[in-house]
Amino acid sequence: MTVEGGVQYSKIAEIKGPLVVVDDVESAAFDELVEIETTEGEKRLGKVLEVGNGKAIVQVFEGTTGLSISGTKAKFVGKVMEMPVSKEVLGRVFDGLGRPKDGLPDPIADKFVDINGEPMNPEQREYPKDFIQTGVSVIDGLMTLVRGQKLPIFSGSGMSHNLLAAQIARQASVVGKQDDFAVVFAAIGVQYSEAEYFRRSLEESGALKRSVLFLNTADDPAIERIITPRVALTVAEYLAFELGMHVLVVITDMTNYAEALREISAAREEVPGRKGYPGYLYTDLSTLYERAGKLNGKKGSVTQVPILSMPSDDITHPIPDLTGYITEGQIVVGRDLFRQGVYPPINILMSLSRLMKDGIGEGSTREDHSEVSNQVYDAYSRAQEVRALAGIVGKAGLTEIDLKYMDVGDTFEKEFLTQATDENRTIEETLALMWKIVSKLPKNEITKIKDKYVEKYYKEE
Amino acid sequence: MASNSALESTIDKILKNTEQDILANIKSGLDDSQQNLDAAVPKLESEYDKIISDGKKEADKIEKQITGSADIEARNKQLMALEEAVDKVFSKLLDQVANADRSGDYSNLIKTLIDEATKILGTSEIIISTNVKDKDIVQSALSQFSGAELSSDTIDCLGGIKVKSKDGAMTFDNTIDARIERMKPLIRKEIAAKFGVGN
Amino acid sequence: MTAQGRIVWVSGPAVRADGMSDAKMYETVTVGNSKLVGEVIRLTGDVAFIQVYESTSGLKPGEPVIGTGNPLSVLLGPGIIGQLYDGIQRPLRELSKASGSFIGRGITTTAVDMTKKYHFVPTISNGDEVAAGNIIGTVQETDLIEDSIMVPPTHAGGKISNLVSEGDYDLETVLATTEKDGQSIELKMYHKWPVRKPRPYNKRHDPIVPLLTGQRVIDTFFPIAKGGTGSIPGAFGTGKTVTLHQIAKWADSQVVVYIGCGERGNEMTEVLVEFPHLKDPRSGKPLMDRTVLVANTSNMPVAAREASIYTGVTIAEYYRDMGKDVVLVADSTSRWAESLREMSGRLEEMPAEEGYPSYLASRLAEFYERAGRVRAAGSPDRDGSVTLIGAVSPSGGDFTEPVTTHTMRFIKTFWALDAKLAYSRHYPSINWMNSYSGYLADIAKWWSENISEDWFNIRSETYGILQREDTLKEIVRLLGPEALPDEEKLILEVARMVKIALLQQNSFDDVDTYCSPEKQFKLMKLLVDFYKKGQQALKEGTALSDIRELGIVSSLLKARMDVKDDEMPKLEQLDKDMQEQFKSISGVKVSN
Repeated sequence: MTVEGGVQYSKIAEIKGPLVVVDDVESAAFDELVEIETTEGEKRLGKVLEVGNGKAIVQVFEGTTGLSISGTKAKFVGKVMEMPVSKEVLGRVFDGLGRPKDGLPDPIADKFVDINGEPMNPEQREYPKDFIQTGVSVIDGLMTLVRGQKLPIFSGSGMSHNLLAAQIARQASVVGKQDDFAVVFAAIGVQYSEAEYFRRSLEESGALKRSVLFLNTADDPAIERIITPRVALTVAEYLAFELGMHVLVVITDMTNYAEALREISAAREEVPGRKGYPGYLYTDLSTLYERAGKLNGKKGSVTQVPILSMPSDDITHPIPDLTGYITEGQIVVGRDLFRQGVYPPINILMSLSRLMKDGIGEGSTREDHSEVSNQVYDAYSRAQEVRALAGIVGKAGLTEIDLKYMDVGDTFEKEFLTQATDENRTIEETLALMWKIVSKLPKNEITKIKDKYVEKYYKEE
Repeated sequence: MASNSALESTIDKILKNTEQDILANIKSGLDDSQQNLDAAVPKLESEYDKIISDGKKEADKIEKQITGSADIEARNKQLMALEEAVDKVFSKLLDQVANADRSGDYSNLIKTLIDEATKILGTSEIIISTNVKDKDIVQSALSQFSGAELSSDTIDCLGGIKVKSKDGAMTFDNTIDARIERMKPLIRKEIAAKFGVGN
Repeated sequence: MTAQGRIVWVSGPAVRADGMSDAKMYETVTVGNSKLVGEVIRLTGDVAFIQVYESTSGLKPGEPVIGTGNPLSVLLGPGIIGQLYDGIQRPLRELSKASGSFIGRGITTTAVDMTKKYHFVPTISNGDEVAAGNIIGTVQETDLIEDSIMVPPTHAGGKISNLVSEGDYDLETVLATTEKDGQSIELKMYHKWPVRKPRPYNKRHDPIVPLLTGQRVIDTFFPIAKGGTGSIPGAFGTGKTVTLHQIAKWADSQVVVYIGCGERGNEMTEVLVEFPHLKDPRSGKPLMDRTVLVANTSNMPVAAREASIYTGVTIAEYYRDMGKDVVLVADSTSRWAESLREMSGRLEEMPAEEGYPSYLASRLAEFYERAGRVRAAGSPDRDGSVTLIGAVSPSGGDFTEPVTTHTMRFIKTFWALDAKLAYSRHYPSINWMNSYSGYLADIAKWWSENISEDWFNIRSETYGILQREDTLKEIVRLLGPEALPDEEKLILEVARMVKIALLQQNSFDDVDTYCSPEKQFKLMKLLVDFYKKGQQALKEGTALSDIRELGIVSSLLKARMDVKDDEMPKLEQLDKDMQEQFKSISGVKVSN
């Protein structure tokens, strides 16, 4: 361990928003961890955003409330921020900066890891293709999740995204030993009750001992939120690539993360991009989302299910928009379905899993999966068109085949989509339900499925 | 009588037919109920199975929950016990340092600490603070560091020094306490390894 | 004299160093104790503004900055094909040898294996006079690619001596020397070229040959020419990447340069996994044998993302100069523009729209200007082309944002991806009303000479049906389909068939993924014939429902997947079936 650094500076030039500008700094490094000491001796953490010409701009994670120009000291620690990792982090609860929140001592570190991680070498990635059965029909059947994928849930305020995420975390089983599986949960600025719901849900399923929780709740410092997903992902990478576990990372709510980023950007008086978010929001988000994946020659995987609430349910808002450009698909929670009381209220037409094609089919799910899923998408899309048309010209103006599609839409929502929060369906059950929907259509309407599968699975009622 | 017997035979016939009808009805009724029963059995069985399996699922769930929680609790107790041990080792270590012999090597250590501090601060114009015990040793070491002064105020620490630039802008904590603090994670890991915990 | 300065300021990828009065603009420098790669992008007094291509975490003021004296350059020689490079031509495979699964910093490598031997066949002799661009010999780089070894573009030329005989040599071997004015210069299999400087050529040709991609909606409806420029903008989830991968797979060019610029890591992995197993439809060789990948994924340093575009296009020009047709796909130019914006912000330049620098438009123009079909410099005469296809990721799918609008000024083919089509699983989701091609007239001659004289007319008729449908849809939306006369309902029906049978294409279907020009034309012709026959039948009093229920309808819809490229007689048979089926209903009159 190095004894370098640790110089404390006491000349504070400026405090604005979450930033402290330290003067007469001889030696500080970009990204260096900083320990701020208040007049009262309270210690807070921060990091260097900019250094040069004798000045260092420090971003204080716990906020600058109560800091004063005189009496505040800044110690430059001589290293970037690190997270202690070991197998013993499983079953533990940490705060948003990775410090114990469960009354237990610091974990005994196997090693200390830079929380920013390093970019995975694309040449060393293994293309994700192992099916994860979440037990949720709409996901397994139509937007299949695979190990190493990043598949966000786009939701809106007050909707049931957390129920869904918890259900996925409880039920997501991977083929092989259960011990290989771990859940990392990062709460970013969510209400305590939501974080608690998630914790209890893991406890009830007995998965808590294979979980690590990082909690930054709504009343915790906002700037800390920049760090929360990073410490969580650092732990996830360690569990996956050093200990060979299949790690599911659930992060909620990324919108709060982006807002913290905007706050810092505004304090630095940077030129804003869309809606006041910094121009580098895309790049910054990618440094989180791209930490999902599989690596050649390593056993484990990091699968990410980040949750974000779309401001005003607007999918073109910069946060969902830039997220969608980075992630491998999206699961979109629909307000209309939610209002109708459907759970999970997933708008399948706007949802998509880019890696699905490689995770399904013979050998992983079933030979007909891809085609029957295309047909269900097609049929439901037609059903929506017919519903819209019926709204204008009335049911009387519809043809017989149109009415069949209306029926498909209803069956889809009532029997396939709708599912209890503790209902864990096998992929066979899911596929059977999909064929039940498709079988509502006459055979000549089935254009996306090969005849041999139609013969095998089509069942007229 | 013939008419009578004709009547009787007619009645007999009717009766017989009716009887057959009734019998047939009874039989088909029986068959039906048998069939119903046959059909009902697997249904009942499956319902029975469902009740059993639901119960089992519930039991599994509770078992998982209990064993899960028990596992964690046991592990957490172990962690606490370990931490206690670590604390004991630490306080012993600190005791030893505090009461260490201040002659010979120790004065060399102080020189090294001052030298290190001036390099890190980038200036030799410094004020040094130390505790009561080490004051004399530091004072005697000062001769080798021009520009360095000893502060009249003492600080509360186990040993070592705290260095401040003369303009007051920079401070470097090179007390034994600070150095031990920086090494604490490594020491903890070593102790844990001795207990057979961690990696 | 190279510059030797010290860091005075660090903020993200931007570093300022003083003592740099000897530095030149766009010179590469090594930054800090860990020797990170950077490039000078502004000079003020003795202070240099440097963009650093690696993470600057931990960098301190006071650390050294040392100039290399050279601008950012790429190495051009055999060994490039099949590589996966980062934004500054470092092979990612070599980086992984140094730093494992994750990308470390300050690693130096060479772009190609300098010790690998290639079989050199000289095409000139000692004593010959050569000039810049002349070919002196060939080597077989991969099974698919024969490289011409050229005299570098800035070379003064001269008389050849010391030419080696045919044989196996590595890249550092001196193959010949040139003598001129008492100066002798060594020629090797490779040379270096600064990425920001377009390579010279002799003259430009008009782009009149189509780049065939095997994608019907592109080749038939919105074609791009060899040496042309195209752009593919679309919101996320519209299938941009799949479409670009399709072009990279099936385009009839000799070399493909695929730049993953600020995009997903797994997408590059997908190409790496898939391409070696896919066969080039023309040569039967693995596609990887003609492909170069440049990957600077979204989480890799942002400055190298800016450079990756130039690295890619310079490699493309190098193969163009050999007389090859090269396709360059850049996914995504928006991320490249964002890297410009980020550096500009750190330079505290005055921003224009949405924070982008005012020179965004000119940088885009410069990039697309590097496309073209040209006569290469030097002898023998040879024509090569660079086709540039840039993806655009408009924020919120809004085509009025700066990158899309500026790009539209400099490209001639515009494939507009449509989220609504994607939501209804119409792929490729290229909107046929908003897309356009400026090459249609130029390349019509090729189709007429090689496929059919009727091509232009049939295409116009097909497109006409789609246009009619577009106007009719408005009425349907208000009044329902029953409000239309049969004549117009037929248009709706045929338009639906055109969409399913022609515009849609399943890139995951073994047969449908690539469609030959012959098949494209014949499918289109069948649909137009169906429309004409349908019109005729309606006139003769046949019921529309009878036309709809003809067996040929579903055969036409499935032909794209059922009929392989080498089974054209099957389409002739469909034509016959259609004639007969129409005949069979010609007597059927509408019953009252």
